[in-house]
Amino acid sequence: MAEVVLSNVNKRYGAVHAVKDVNLTVNDEEFVALVGPSGCGKSTTLRMVAGLEAISGGTISIGGRVVNDLPPKDRDLAMVFQNYALYQHMTVYDNLAFGLRNRKVPEGTIGKEVDRAAGILGITDLLKRKPRQLSGGQQQRVALGRCIVRHPKVFLFDEPLSNLDANLRANMRVELKQLRERVPTTSIYVTHDQVEAMTLGDRVVVMRDGWVQQVGTPLEIYNEPRNLFVAGFMGSPPTNFIDVTVAESDGKLYAEAKNFRVRIPQNRDAALRPYVGRPVTLGIRPEHIVLGEPAPELEAGFDGGINVTEQLGSELLVGITAAGTEIMVSRIDPQQGLTLHESVRLSLNPTHLHFFDRDSEEAIV
Amino acid sequence: MTAATTTHGGSRTPGFFDALAPGGARALFFLSVTAVLFLFAFPVFWLVLTSLKPGWEVFYVHRSTEFTWGNYVDVLQEEIVLNAFINSFVIATAATILSLAVTVSSGYMLSRFRGPIANTWFGTIYLFRCIPYISWVLPLYFVTQWLGIFDSYLGLLLPHIAVHICFFSWIMKGFFDGIDPSMEHAALIDGCTRWGAFRRVALPSAIPGIAALAILCWLWTWNEFLFALILTSHNTPMITVVMAQFVHELGTEWNLMSATAVMTMGPALIITIFGQKYVIKGLRI
Amino acid sequence: MLLLVGPAAAVLVLFQIVPILIGMNASFRSWALYDPTKTWVGLKHYIYVLSDPVFMTVVLPNTFLLMFLSVAISLVFGLALAHLLNRDFLGQRIVQTIVLLPLMVAPVIVSTMIRWMFNDQFGIVAVVWEGLGFEPMAWLAERWPSFSIILFTDVWIWTPWFTIILLAGLKSLPREPYEAAAIDAAGRWRVFTHITLPMLRPVMLVCIVIRSIDAFRTFDQVWVISAGGPARGTEVFSVYAYIEAFQNLNFGRGSAAAVVGGVIIMVVGLLMYRVLNRLMEVSR
Repeated sequence: MAEVVLSNVNKRYGAVHAVKDVNLTVNDEEFVALVGPSGCGKSTTLRMVAGLEAISGGTISIGGRVVNDLPPKDRDLAMVFQNYALYQHMTVYDNLAFGLRNRKVPEGTIGKEVDRAAGILGITDLLKRKPRQLSGGQQQRVALGRCIVRHPKVFLFDEPLSNLDANLRANMRVELKQLRERVPTTSIYVTHDQVEAMTLGDRVVVMRDGWVQQVGTPLEIYNEPRNLFVAGFMGSPPTNFIDVTVAESDGKLYAEAKNFRVRIPQNRDAALRPYVGRPVTLGIRPEHIVLGEPAPELEAGFDGGINVTEQLGSELLVGITAAGTEIMVSRIDPQQGLTLHESVRLSLNPTHLHFFDRDSEEAIV
Repeated sequence: MTAATTTHGGSRTPGFFDALAPGGARALFFLSVTAVLFLFAFPVFWLVLTSLKPGWEVFYVHRSTEFTWGNYVDVLQEEIVLNAFINSFVIATAATILSLAVTVSSGYMLSRFRGPIANTWFGTIYLFRCIPYISWVLPLYFVTQWLGIFDSYLGLLLPHIAVHICFFSWIMKGFFDGIDPSMEHAALIDGCTRWGAFRRVALPSAIPGIAALAILCWLWTWNEFLFALILTSHNTPMITVVMAQFVHELGTEWNLMSATAVMTMGPALIITIFGQKYVIKGLRI
Repeated sequence: MLLLVGPAAAVLVLFQIVPILIGMNASFRSWALYDPTKTWVGLKHYIYVLSDPVFMTVVLPNTFLLMFLSVAISLVFGLALAHLLNRDFLGQRIVQTIVLLPLMVAPVIVSTMIRWMFNDQFGIVAVVWEGLGFEPMAWLAERWPSFSIILFTDVWIWTPWFTIILLAGLKSLPREPYEAAAIDAAGRWRVFTHITLPMLRPVMLVCIVIRSIDAFRTFDQVWVISAGGPARGTEVFSVYAYIEAFQNLNFGRGSAAAVVGGVIIMVVGLLMYRVLNRLMEVSR
């Protein structure tokens, strides 16, 4: 069983508290993605699991064994680095064999393992070349090969696709998923790209400033963000945030802002009633706003002026001034004729409203 | 992200100390460092000690207890020594100032220009850097005599400058390589001439490098021996030559000789302590 | 652009190119400093030098031996020291200052210091040596002890140079290959040979070639410590040329020797670069 458990893990660099009380259980053969902006502590956490950083507080265990004091080589894991970290002057074969040779594995076994790994990754033709003769994508495959050749308990990935160009990155994502089918292994994957996190992870961990913000499946994170940051960080284009005040009228709750009055659905009553008269933040994703008049009983319409249009071919993105702020609307028909500064009628989908406490930024549920 | 440290051992690249137990590693480390320090510092220390001993005590330096400044006084009263110090100082300073002017522009050219003239210059300098000093200082003996500048300031300055060009153009080139040329391009677009861009943009950015070069150049000239030996005679004694003569002729007067040596070493010590950062900059190839 | 280089070129021509040409010219003439005529004698001086047993069996071997040993020993110690200094510890500034010292002091002074220390009657080394019970040794009276002192001086002066440059090199190495090696269970020595050395190869190569070319033309240390003695046993190439020109007053012969040495070092320098480049490839 190769479960990775992080328990109250902390990391301090002198006065800087880089990782704060991280608790996480990665189940056997699960692929967990750690995502967050630069400096949020995701790489540091990964490196603590790897043994490349000392742990200031808490414990990390792999396969039931606490590994705090074990050097990296004894933790039975493999790591893929952002800069590939291949041994430049060794051939691809020797790069793959290095770890096995250091562990005194007989050459015959090494040959078999290397061939197997090379076959899985499609780099058998490259075995005699040196890293500087390979493209970025090929080098990354060799780095992956270095991982699987040893059959470790855990794979660690530190932003492995960040150095590749956009098209290659998309291809490699697919290849990584295929690799997971063939070699299912407990994995922790660090990235700042939320698309990678969503597409690759069984579960996603969102981090910020050293704290874990939320842990959940990609869909949970997307649809039920626990705070303002998660709502704004995950998903592209990002969630729209509108400063509203909760008002009551005829026993119904409304979210009000400048030229903006939207009915809060009944099922949110209990949560939001305590906030009557107080300001809150309303969050709504661009794809949940549509052009046109909503059904009258929903009371979910408002007006706005068009600021900017972005033609993507598959959809139209429109930036609109409404409710005293800038809002992005997506998934508009790309053929829709819209002119700048035109005033339009919009409606939002009330089942996808998110509310956040103005001070704590927590979701109001 | 802040710099990471590995879990085991504090070095950035794993050193062989990490293989030992922590206590043993530290002990070995401090022992090695101490041994190295001792090896490098001891001769200097010993020389200074010897220079502070009166004549008869010099033979039992390690056992005697007398100290005196007398050696320094005696030595400074020798006219030749005093002259030598003055001459060396003047030549080192003058050579540095004059060389800088020429070397800086030479280095700039090596850094920024390509093309046949630049390549020829590159090759010439490289070639002359490799030629042994003895090969050209022998005929320089005659050249300086024909030009009537043998055994004079000029007769030393000009050859030194010639050597400086070959040696220090490289260092200046290195510094200019490290300065982003886009600033100069911006200046050219803003209406500067090439010379103007050099003077107003590249040069100010290169000042730390020039300072490093000046220090190295001065020290090198002060310490130089072979040119001084061959190109001077009685008129222009240089301190390094005077030192060497002490060793061979006044072999038994080690106390006087060591006093002279310590004084000759003076600039080096001062520069090492206060100008370290510049020196290290200049030593990078 | 020409303006930049003009004055430098002028100085260079007058004080390097012209003298070298004169030197080469002199090497073909019977040019004694006491004899005003300079008759052309063709290759007479070259033949003399190249058939001079002292030159071929003592001077050249000495010079090459000094060059190889000094560079090799300084490199090894310099690399070790660079590793030692590659961590932050208390007093690093002081250590760095002391390590820089040998480079800043004039070689003449260093040679003087060390010659004093090895003085066979009163030098501190002699005192310690005899104190430990060994027979008194006349260091400068025999060839190989003298040579060893000269070698020691050269290593003392130049190890810091290697140290500083290699330390800068070490500090600029990327971190990730070391981390990958840590995960790959590489032992300390393997990390050094398979990761550090290959990455340092370009820097080391340049250092070796530059330092070798310089070591070949060593003059100051040899002159001050032994003046080429005893009985010319520690003479190196530049001392040989100097003696011929300024002690034997045979300028023509001195020039010929200087030219021979110059050609040798240029050829050797080029060869060294090629060979070393090949030699330093490590793939396993």
